[in-house]
Amino acid sequence: MTSTILQAINGVSFAALLFLLASGFTLSFGLMRVVNMAHGAYYLLGGYVGLTLAEQTGSFAVAILGGGAAIVVLGYLVDRFLIRRTGENHLAQVLLTVGLAFVIGDVALAIWGGDNLKVPVPPFLRGAVELPGGVYYPKYRFVLIFFGALVFAVLWILYRKTQIGAVVRAGVDDREQVSATGINIDRLFVMTSGLASFLAGMAGVVGGAFLTLYPGAEWEILVFALVVVIVGGLGSLEGAMVGALIVGLLDAYGRWLLPEFSYFVLFGPIALLMLFRPRGLFGTEH
Amino acid sequence: MDRSRVTVVIVVLAAALALPFYAGPFWMGLATQIIIFGLLALSVDLLLGHTGLFSLCHASFFAVAAYTTAILQVRYGTPTVFAAPAGVLAGTLLALVFGIAVRTRGVYFILITIALGFIVWGVAYRWSSFTGGDNGVTNVPFPSIGPLAVTSHLQYYYLVLAIVMLCALGYRMLVSSPFGLGLRGIKASESRMRSLGYRTALHLYVAFVLSGALASLAGVLYVYYNRFVNPVTGSFQISVEVALMAIVGGSGTIIGPFIGSGVLLGLRNWVSSFFELHAAVMGVVFIATVLWAPDGLVGLARRLRKRRTGIRKDPA
Repeated sequence: MTSTILQAINGVSFAALLFLLASGFTLSFGLMRVVNMAHGAYYLLGGYVGLTLAEQTGSFAVAILGGGAAIVVLGYLVDRFLIRRTGENHLAQVLLTVGLAFVIGDVALAIWGGDNLKVPVPPFLRGAVELPGGVYYPKYRFVLIFFGALVFAVLWILYRKTQIGAVVRAGVDDREQVSATGINIDRLFVMTSGLASFLAGMAGVVGGAFLTLYPGAEWEILVFALVVVIVGGLGSLEGAMVGALIVGLLDAYGRWLLPEFSYFVLFGPIALLMLFRPRGLFGTEH
Repeated sequence: MDRSRVTVVIVVLAAALALPFYAGPFWMGLATQIIIFGLLALSVDLLLGHTGLFSLCHASFFAVAAYTTAILQVRYGTPTVFAAPAGVLAGTLLALVFGIAVRTRGVYFILITIALGFIVWGVAYRWSSFTGGDNGVTNVPFPSIGPLAVTSHLQYYYLVLAIVMLCALGYRMLVSSPFGLGLRGIKASESRMRSLGYRTALHLYVAFVLSGALASLAGVLYVYYNRFVNPVTGSFQISVEVALMAIVGGSGTIIGPFIGSGVLLGLRNWVSSFFELHAAVMGVVFIATVLWAPDGLVGLARRLRKRRTGIRKDPA
């Protein structure tokens, strides 16, 4: 019984991390129709930059902001000089961004080496919390759940309740129409892609503090994010949230109950979902 | 087939047949690898070049076939005559299941095949009691059927060459058959083919399974060459690299995937001999291909030739 609850919390905290990564991916697809497979590499690089900053300054907040900011700069350059040249050719985008991820991964390996590195967590987030019923749980992962929920709330308000969100939603539905009404859609693209990059870099720092950072982590986390996006439906913020919860919980219980087949537990139901709803739970026609 | 293409095919075949007379063991090994990965790239291109579906899970069929054959040969001592067909069969069965991906198109197809590919990698990696985990399955013997046994890398090279040539021949018949032309029609306009009465979904499913079967055959050839298989064989990196091979060489052709395989494997071997960041170099090749040679080398050659003949025809 206790394990069941602990696994549920494990799943939800992993879901919070996945949401950070998947929400950026899904938003940039929704608005710009860009499939950015370098998102996992952004995560890893952001994590490494945050790690270095945390070691230099000793501040976790600086690490999170710095990791995110570094990726914003990188993401802007990549968008501006590489991805934009592919137009709306998804095949080209996938190849290009996979290549980019190889480059980032290899350069990161040369700089930070091949060991598992852990972003240091500030003292007030270490240790365990006691939950009702005498269950102890790592404080950090517990706080992560609230952090994920906070980010979701901020994104949701931004997306659903503000004028800029309304313009972005309009852009998702019909880009040409928005452009024709005199809105600078380019600036919107830069902002959305900046936000997505920031979320990915930040996720790297946050995730690096409990999953550790190592070569290959970029692909592992990317696949989880992709599955979240497939389940939730490309371009849907709510879908990313629901998808993250489903994937996080399936993964936690899969690892616990069937360790050798945890990937199967995770992907099997998704294959089934695909049969009935190929566009995901919240997806629309693109 | 025009004359210049016949010439190219004859030259390539002659070079391949004569290779052992002027190349040492290192180059023979590389050549065997190029031909096997060329076959895998060709299987990817059956979907990419002829139906427009971009699959990123072909390393799965390749790996499942390789694992099946390796486990049967090494652990159960099954003779090649059963182990090799069993490998192809296992990979093809997986393609029958993964074929559900053809319910989706475009970017969803790409993402779903990536996810499916990771199932195989994940199972190979985590189900270590059966697959050997990270260490994989080692000491796969050379194939032998009754008194006919391969005893050297040279013999195996010729065996691979013969099988792959037969496959290329069959592939050519397939893509120029009514079925193959139907696939091209779907690539050009699926809705039009559907309104003409074609069952496009079934066409695509069959193409997917055939392509998976070809990839499985490549996997069996690979495991007897490499004599060892581990989860890397089924990784996303392999899937995406063979797709790049098809594109670099020239998608929609038969020779293209083999050229691409030669270019990429040759480049990697060369670069890794003096430069540590060879994965980054491969990444740069991906980016450069997308930006400057989206139709691959065959497309580039065609464009250059057109330009040249265009100048020649010009009366001025």
